[in-house]
Amino acid sequence: MKNVIHVKPQQMINAFLVFFVVHTTQIGVGIHGFQRIIYQESKQDAWFSVLVIGIVSHVIVIVMIKTLEMYDSHDLYGINREVFGTWIGNFINVIYFFYCSVAFFSVLINYIEVIQTWIFPLLSTWFISATLLLLVIYTFLGGLRVIVGVSFFSFMLAFWLIFVLVFPLQYSDPQSLFPILESKFIDILKGAKAMTFTIIGFEILYIIFPFVKDKKNIRKPVHYGLLVTTLMYLAVILVSLTYFSGEQLSKTIWATLSLFSIVQFPFLERFEFLAVCFWMLIILPNLCLYVWAAHRGLTGMINISAKKFIWLFSCIVLLLTFFIKSRIQINSINNIFGQVAFYIVFIYPLFLYVLALVKKKLTS
Amino acid sequence: MSNKFFKNMFKKKESKQQAQSDSSSLKNKSINNHSHDKKLISPDKAKFISLIEKESNNPSDLKTKFITEDYTLFYIENLVDSRVLNKHILPVVLKNPNSSPSELKFQLQIPEANMTENLELAILELFSGAALIHKNGYPTVLLAKINTRESRSLSAPENESQVIGSQVGFNESLSTNESLVRRYIRTPDLYIKKLTVGKISNTTVSILYLKSIASEEMVQTLQQRITDLKIDALLDSSFLAEMIDDNSLSPFPQMLLTERPDRFCDGLLNGKLGILVDGSSMAVICPHSFIEFFQSREDQNLRWPIASFLRLLRFSAVFLSIFLTPLYVAALTFHYEVIPQSLLVPLSESRALVPFPPIIEALLLELIIELLREAGARLPTKVGQTIGIVGGIVIGTAAVQAGITSNILIIIVALSALASFTTPSYMMGNVIRAIRFPIIILAGFWGFYGIMLGFCFLLIHLIKQSSLGTPYTAPFYPPRWVDWRDSIIRLPLPLTNLRPTSSRAKKRKKYEEEPIDPEKS
Repeated sequence: MKNVIHVKPQQMINAFLVFFVVHTTQIGVGIHGFQRIIYQESKQDAWFSVLVIGIVSHVIVIVMIKTLEMYDSHDLYGINREVFGTWIGNFINVIYFFYCSVAFFSVLINYIEVIQTWIFPLLSTWFISATLLLLVIYTFLGGLRVIVGVSFFSFMLAFWLIFVLVFPLQYSDPQSLFPILESKFIDILKGAKAMTFTIIGFEILYIIFPFVKDKKNIRKPVHYGLLVTTLMYLAVILVSLTYFSGEQLSKTIWATLSLFSIVQFPFLERFEFLAVCFWMLIILPNLCLYVWAAHRGLTGMINISAKKFIWLFSCIVLLLTFFIKSRIQINSINNIFGQVAFYIVFIYPLFLYVLALVKKKLTS
Repeated sequence: MSNKFFKNMFKKKESKQQAQSDSSSLKNKSINNHSHDKKLISPDKAKFISLIEKESNNPSDLKTKFITEDYTLFYIENLVDSRVLNKHILPVVLKNPNSSPSELKFQLQIPEANMTENLELAILELFSGAALIHKNGYPTVLLAKINTRESRSLSAPENESQVIGSQVGFNESLSTNESLVRRYIRTPDLYIKKLTVGKISNTTVSILYLKSIASEEMVQTLQQRITDLKIDALLDSSFLAEMIDDNSLSPFPQMLLTERPDRFCDGLLNGKLGILVDGSSMAVICPHSFIEFFQSREDQNLRWPIASFLRLLRFSAVFLSIFLTPLYVAALTFHYEVIPQSLLVPLSESRALVPFPPIIEALLLELIIELLREAGARLPTKVGQTIGIVGGIVIGTAAVQAGITSNILIIIVALSALASFTTPSYMMGNVIRAIRFPIIILAGFWGFYGIMLGFCFLLIHLIKQSSLGTPYTAPFYPPRWVDWRDSIIRLPLPLTNLRPTSSRAKKRKKYEEEPIDPEKS
């Protein structure tokens, strides 16, 4: 069993911290504008799509944990090698490595775009990505404990943002939800599939599992994490559906930020300026955990030190951001990535579970 | 160059952490090393005198006194208590001219007298205030420890004043400080470990802890770090604290420096370790987490709702102090939109005459405030007050009238300066004031985005730090939910029976509850 990961006790994290890891990896840039994408598919029943994908994610997580428990201290990369053999396993691992890297990249460019659109139209892309990458490097070099710490504080310090939704709630009209379930069931499913880009992130469980101290208790925090995410998305979509008219919603790229912009305090207006900047704290765990997952994959295949890896990775990402110029490019990256991610996050775990089960039966 | 420096830093750190259990054996080794090449005391009188003069470089304050034909006395003039010397030593020696030094030892009526054959030790003791008594023909020397300890009398702590609570502070004498602690904690459980630090200064350092409570491992680590120090002189405990910090490069202090014995004892009772340094009026408490720097000892002395209110006030003061000026700069430079219209009018009115961009204006005022503070700290008290008036009235009012700054910014800068002074640790207050400057610059260049960059960097930095191996962000991360209550607010005393987890105390409960008598209930 050469794929077993040996983790020193001081690098391990408590099971309940996985709640924060799962939740903060799921919430990221997707929440800025997922309303439009689902609305295109399932109209005023978009909230039903969110519910469906939420339930599906719970099922997938059950399967993921079952697979992980079959192999005691393996991550996904190790399991792939066990199930498929070194060559094919490593090939899949390379795909997964690229998946994590692209996830990192798309979070980064989406956030850069939001900053440029809402606050600093002329702030250069390379500057924003360089500063964000420096933060990621600084966190990453602290190891998993620091990364999880960032995601913990990200949740604790940003959770209050959900209550800001109370402001648009007073202008919302519940009538626009009716008639309920007018859309075809297939459209609702399509809407759910369109949610992929927004809801993914819980697949980090595959990688972080060997680092959890009390693996038996992992189910509860993971499911609570998913539940909180789903409820949050549900709240956002319900407020958006009732606040915007259908036509508005299908034309608003960042509906959540538009919701924020009507918030007013006696000392503060245009709340979204603050929110967009504050979002840095929310995407930071996203970036860190994806790059960490990518690094885990790479170290299994080639011998590279964490320091070398993160600098190299950051340089490549920085170079790639130069090629991103327009909204259309970013949108197409999101779409393609969403498509691929759907198969990697929602289909592949089922496939892997069945194969692992078969292999276990055959060998025993 | 700098790379090398960093590498060395890390090496130092590694060596600090490795093999804590070796410390005792290491210590033995160093003692053995001494005994191998130790110089012995010559029994011959004339030879011994010349030996002492040679080894001590014959300073002008070294006094050599021939008491009788055989007995010779050496001492450093101002280090020994001449009253004791004349009253309790000289008459005794004169009375018993024929007794050997070891016999003499029992006749001397002084608290501490030792025999030694080791010349080096004798010289060392000579310079820390012992009188050496040598008798012709004996290879040993009697060390009569009669040093004077002139120190200032106990006074109220000046930097950590507090309205309610004891008004006594540590002074520069180690023995006084130890006795102060002993007066608060009267138990044989209070353990004092003595170490000597500094090749030239030979400063005594004491580690204090409660044996049944403090974590054994942490004591080992601390001792190891202190014995590993390679320094020539140790003049103050703050120097020691920085040298044995987990990360000496961080601006944040990772150990608490306090001049209050009650705060020091509070730490010991919570299972922390204390360090006292001879000649320093500041004691060190470690491990100390970030949030604890903002908790005052006085919180324990006030009623809990009031104490909690003050504590929350202090926490928000920290945020205000760091982020208020940057927010002003960012909002006025880039984000006019976030300011409500009713507020925008007075703001722009007050800024209408100011010729500078907000960042220059803010940096200017912040620098003036810092200058005032620094001048106030350096000058004698009487002059300091004058400076305060000059600074406050003249510079403040005149700057606005001259049109250099806006009224509102003066309010903001004064508020954030005031807020930073609420931090009950001077070291931490300084850090809070200092980290404001980079964030103002970030805000002036990149608005809210810059502030967020600074905030995230600070957050990550704090998560990365540790204090004596325990997380600096304790008890928030890693979360110890139970400790949260008493960290954020001050719980009513009957509800807090727990010591903080971060001190890794052996006994988590402060007192064991008495088993309830079933017959009574």
